[in-house]
Amino acid sequence: MIIVTGGSRGLGRSICERLLSKGQEVLALARSVEDVPYAALACDVSDYAQVKAVAKHLRQNNMKVSGVVNAAGIAAMNLAVTTPPDTTARVVQVNLLGTIYCCQVFAPLMMRQKGGCFINFSTIAVALGLKGEAVYAASKAGVEGFSRAFAREMADFNIRVNCIAPGPIDTALLRGITSDQIGKIVSQQILPWQFGPDAVSDVVELLLDDRSGSLSGQVFGIGGA
Amino acid sequence: MSDFKEKIYAELQEVIDNDDIVITDEMPLIGDGSVLDSMKVVSLCIALEDVAADLGFEFDWTSNAAMSRSRSMFRSVGALVEEFTKQMKAQQ
Repeated sequence: MIIVTGGSRGLGRSICERLLSKGQEVLALARSVEDVPYAALACDVSDYAQVKAVAKHLRQNNMKVSGVVNAAGIAAMNLAVTTPPDTTARVVQVNLLGTIYCCQVFAPLMMRQKGGCFINFSTIAVALGLKGEAVYAASKAGVEGFSRAFAREMADFNIRVNCIAPGPIDTALLRGITSDQIGKIVSQQILPWQFGPDAVSDVVELLLDDRSGSLSGQVFGIGGA
Repeated sequence: MSDFKEKIYAELQEVIDNDDIVITDEMPLIGDGSVLDSMKVVSLCIALEDVAADLGFEFDWTSNAAMSRSRSMFRSVGALVEEFTKQMKAQQ
């Protein structure tokens, strides 16, 4: 089974749908799962106790986890000096701590079976240092740093850890950002055009596959930076 | 020695993977003098989760208390057995 956090909408939903279409067993985690048409559990990843409760449920029901895709995330497009402290805290809580919690709590499930794969989400804003994304980029830079070290810790258990760093993918996360702004960001990518959710799902599929068995501790930029 | 203490010792012996090492209650599991590296401690904890499940309770080794260096359950084998017992009694 593959766990996909943030699996009720946006990139997470797109990833769930792709994996399901390829015959994978998927469990989506999201704060609200009422309208999710596939297996899903309500879980706010920024709440450690809720993540632990999911792991307990999986363990008690002997559900084998072969991969975790940490796609839950929130964006905050604002200058650092005009970002309210509550927003800063929430961005770090969901993007960084939520990812760390899910890795910490779900890792033992995979360590027991000596195999598995974590895919965490960064952003191209980390590499590009984009104006107006300082707080968001900081939270994701933390994810990259955590993932590199965590990859080494997990290596003995045959568990791979990688990051995907998308550019501005066409999802609800971009609501409020003008096409001009998107164009400026995209123009800084190595492949200077906007990619859709399918491009991200392609890389997720690739990294979950055993043929990516040599890849760990890496950051894969969608569009390149 | 109680059944579950024997099981804890057996799991520890398997993780240590060296029959020449005699396990005692005073043996430290972390820090100076420990025969386990941090990854082996984790492997032991995962094995103890299974022992606890067989005994009908959930062994929590990831709490703040468990991971605190000064009062950690890993400061010695005896402390680990004590914490395991405490959690078992609290849930039964």
